[in-house]
Amino acid sequence: MLPCASFRLLGSFESERSRKVGGSVMAPVPASVARQAEILKQDGNSYFSKNRLGAAIDAYTEAITLCPDVAVYWTNRALCYMKRKEWDRVEEDCTSALHLDSHSVKAHYMMGHAMLERHDYSGGIKQLQKALELGRGAKPSSYIVEEIWQVLSKAKYLEWEDMSSKRASELQKLKETCEKALLNFYAIEDSQDGTEEVADERLQQLQYLEEVFTKVGEDDRPKDVPDYLCCQISLDIFRDPVITPSGITYERAVLLDHLQKVGKFDPVTRVPLEQHQLVPNLAVKEAVQSFLNRHGWAYKMS
Amino acid sequence: MTSSSASSRKALSKIACNRLQKELLEWQVNPPAGFKHKVSDSLQRWVVEVIGAPGTLYTNEKYQLQVDFPEHYPMEAPQVIFLHPAPLHPHIYSNGHICLDILYDSWSPAMTVSSVCISILSMLSSSTVKQRPPDNDRYVKNCRNGRSPKETRWWFHDDKV
Repeated sequence: MLPCASFRLLGSFESERSRKVGGSVMAPVPASVARQAEILKQDGNSYFSKNRLGAAIDAYTEAITLCPDVAVYWTNRALCYMKRKEWDRVEEDCTSALHLDSHSVKAHYMMGHAMLERHDYSGGIKQLQKALELGRGAKPSSYIVEEIWQVLSKAKYLEWEDMSSKRASELQKLKETCEKALLNFYAIEDSQDGTEEVADERLQQLQYLEEVFTKVGEDDRPKDVPDYLCCQISLDIFRDPVITPSGITYERAVLLDHLQKVGKFDPVTRVPLEQHQLVPNLAVKEAVQSFLNRHGWAYKMS
Repeated sequence: MTSSSASSRKALSKIACNRLQKELLEWQVNPPAGFKHKVSDSLQRWVVEVIGAPGTLYTNEKYQLQVDFPEHYPMEAPQVIFLHPAPLHPHIYSNGHICLDILYDSWSPAMTVSSVCISILSMLSSSTVKQRPPDNDRYVKNCRNGRSPKETRWWFHDDKV
């Protein structure tokens, strides 16, 4: 009779799991069960570090079965699925994790990553921005913030590529239509009279039309990012700019690296500098954001 | 002279790579006056031709600088030496090593290849005599094993020359 009893036991956990993940009632789990789940998670982590993803997934799945209300079990399993590029599963697990903990940086990050994989740029970007905001709040210089930024800027670039090519082809169509309409109009006028002056004027009009369309497309044409939006050390566009008492603005992570490895001085003015003297440069940050909003190509990173 | 340092060099980090690509791009659009980057497929070693500035002891003389970048550039200074023959100068040794503080203790990551080149040219331009440093023979002998100038404990002579 034992197998039958254990079968029922598992079944009851299954139903509890779906109820909890639905996000309503949370019945407390006995301490012994929670302990067991924690052990399973640690097993999962050690499998994961040895790149034994299948075994890790099984361990996390068992932990989830025991304690479905721990967000970390879901995000850990999602990470395994991410490594295996099983994006639908990543999204499912992250959704569960976010129901339990809406502030999980990792869940927002992996969710965003998975959404990008199925070309949902705007949805993915939203998740990644949330992850970046939460991650920077906790630890501005952690590796995950850098990783999130990389994925986010790539997504922004892809989104821009997508939208700008649509914009370009629509503009091209409109331009051709306008030219045709003008030429037709000239043809109708011609039946009345046609001096040389009129011909000059028409030529100029057609030229102006060309210029107007060139101007409209300017934002989408890559050029140099202005120096005042770039860090003098990384030479890259700012992400998290900080200003020193000398009035020079640097990328935070890069300047911290300098203070640690090269010396405690301002790299440009060489005035002594300590980490606590750095202040976020919000004006530059906003200027960067507005530049990026207009010129999505500047998200491109080498 | 740099064979040993060249073989033990570690590949550039991602940050270093990114920054050098940007520097090279900027150099191509806007090279410092008096310098020419010699085309090569290596980002980690640049060879730059210098032409002595008009009105100085080195007018129209051509020299070659070799710039090697460490893994963690720009958090570490590049290694800059003159290839043979090095100009006769009170701060330049016959093996090409240059006694210039910004290449060693006074390096700052806000400096670039371009700004380093300009400093070296200005060092050349301000020279009043064409001669080797007084300790040239001893120093060069000590470097026979291919030691990098970055390993030298420089004692910066003066700022007058």
